[in-house]
Amino acid sequence: MRAETPLRSETPLLSVQGLTVTFDGFTAVSELSFDLYEGQTLAIVGESGSGKSVTALSIMRLVTLGTRAKIAEGQIFFRQPDGSTIDLVQADEAELRKIRGNQISMIFQEPLTSLNPVYTAGNQVVEAIRLHQDVTKAEAYQRAFEVFERVRIPEPKKRLKEYPHQMSGGMRQRVMIAMALSCDPTVLIADEPTTALDVTIQAQILGLMRALQDETGAAVIMITHDMGVVAEVADDIVVMRNSKLVETGNVFDIFEKPTAPYTKALLASIPRLGSMTGKSQPERFDLVDMDAPV
Amino acid sequence: MKQIAVRILQAFGLVLAVIVLNFMLVHLAPGDAVDALAGTAGEMSPETTERLRAQYGLDEPVTTQLVTYIGNVLQGDLGVSIGNNNRPVTEMIAERLWPTVLLSITALSFAILVGVFVGTLAARRPESGFSHFTTVFALVGFAMPAFWTGYLLLIVFSAKLGWLPVSGMEDLRFRGGWFAQQWDVAKHLFLPALALGLIYIAAYSRLSRASMLEVLESDYVRTARAKGLGERSVLFKHALRNGVIPIVTVMGLQFGAILSGAILVETVFSWPGVGRLAFEAVVERDTNVLLGVLFLVSLAVIIANFLTDLLYRFIDPRIRVSGSANG
Ligand SMILES: Nc1ncnc2c1ncn2[C@@H]1O[C@H](COP(=O)(O)OP(=O)(O)OP(=O)(O)O)[C@@H](O)[C@H]1O
Ligand SMILES: [Mg+2]
Repeated sequence: MRAETPLRSETPLLSVQGLTVTFDGFTAVSELSFDLYEGQTLAIVGESGSGKSVTALSIMRLVTLGTRAKIAEGQIFFRQPDGSTIDLVQADEAELRKIRGNQISMIFQEPLTSLNPVYTAGNQVVEAIRLHQDVTKAEAYQRAFEVFERVRIPEPKKRLKEYPHQMSGGMRQRVMIAMALSCDPTVLIADEPTTALDVTIQAQILGLMRALQDETGAAVIMITHDMGVVAEVADDIVVMRNSKLVETGNVFDIFEKPTAPYTKALLASIPRLGSMTGKSQPERFDLVDMDAPV
Repeated sequence: MKQIAVRILQAFGLVLAVIVLNFMLVHLAPGDAVDALAGTAGEMSPETTERLRAQYGLDEPVTTQLVTYIGNVLQGDLGVSIGNNNRPVTEMIAERLWPTVLLSITALSFAILVGVFVGTLAARRPESGFSHFTTVFALVGFAMPAFWTGYLLLIVFSAKLGWLPVSGMEDLRFRGGWFAQQWDVAKHLFLPALALGLIYIAAYSRLSRASMLEVLESDYVRTARAKGLGERSVLFKHALRNGVIPIVTVMGLQFGAILSGAILVETVFSWPGVGRLAFEAVVERDTNVLLGVLFLVSLAVIIANFLTDLLYRFIDPRIRVSGSANG
């Protein structure tokens, strides 16, 4: 649990209300509601297929692009930096394009395939910067260089010119994080950013994300399988199962007194609360995971 | 550098093998140029045919002829055409080369541009009527032989509508400036290029539809959208460059097929190219001309594959850059 939690502002930054997403009649997310507050971290946990990624993609409104998905019901209210509130479910593509990658950005579950293989890392980050900011190409490269430094990429100058296949998985995920942070978003959605990486790299990336959150003050939605990660980083937690909300609330409260049997079962599987003391990284623990690579 | 040297050596071996194979095939067929000559001359005494065969070395064992031929080819000599008053074959081919190159390149570029564009649009909305139409069109287009399409186009656009010239590469009575002359060639080129290109438009639209459908589902396309890019940039900057990679591969492989298609189309449209030369050579049993054309075609295919490889490297950095820091 995060030591010092910023004071919670009155209205949430992002409020998901009654979200229902269907694929050709199959319900992937059903009547899901939760709030995300400024500068805080919300963890979404749940077993594979419970609808975590679909929820994240719905907030970005990416879920319906090129798929058969439909947001059947619900609202997603987002408070923009200028103070106005927009319902992302109703927003049109032009409005969404200004928000995506700029005010809300996302890091994906698959660092190995999330970068375009035919363009350099620098090119792809610069593209995001130039899309949302009125800067010259040279200035954009300078910013990309800075953000590479911020995500602790060694030899940023060299890395800018490299293609994704020349980088390790952890490095590619750092590039993705750099891209996501390049326009100083107020919300960062991280969809299991470390699942595909090996354990030491996982710890590095998680550590990096925590440090970056403290530096940037962005609110984070952290999707994870790992209750240890939740204990480490989250303020609030949303537990999902079979497309539905099981329970939500403050991490302290839920860890102390889980009401739902499913949450109890999840928590029982953590070795011991406080077992993290003196350890540099959380214990990895997988939920019932049917899709995970062997 | 070493890689390139190896490739060139391989190509050389391949050309040699192709020459031998062609030579054997052509010489397996009964009859030779002298027979054909005798046929056109009406009557020819056995003494005369014997003398002619000795003159062209046709009386020697096939292996000896082959060795002589390879030796000559290596020195750039493709022999003479027996049916055409001993004209050097290289000269005859050189004269016909440009029309064929023009026809093939036009047909190919046409096919790629239209095919990829249509396929990409179809992949954008795979369930749309347009998308289903392209699938049907691809099947039909693929099933129509080029000479048949050629005749069909000829009948409709030249004979019935009279919009375009019927045959040849230029109007023989043509008088006018350089630009007008190019325009005249372009008009003659249009139908043959369309006839030749149609099959490949079908093939490329089908291929690029499939390839783009796959690419559009990829994670990096989702990333591009997550950045806030519009659909046009997503499609043409992020998806297309990946989507054309398989097309480039097929393009290299199909170049030979385009050339053989050109032979048919050139015959239909009396296009004065290498294809028609080959056709005439077959009729006249003009072995050297036929072998020369076959040699040239295989050389062209090998060169095309080499160029394809270069293009491939240009498009896909994963092939271009060797040392990788993966781990
Ligand atoms: N494009 C799609 N088309 C059809 N069904 C989909 C699609 N994407 C997701 N689904 C379905 O929606 C459900 C929720 O999937 P989702 O990816 O949100 O799970 P998840 O909680 O993120 O799981 P994981 O932990 O494995 O990432 C699954 O049953 C999945 O099969
Ligand atoms: Mg997921």
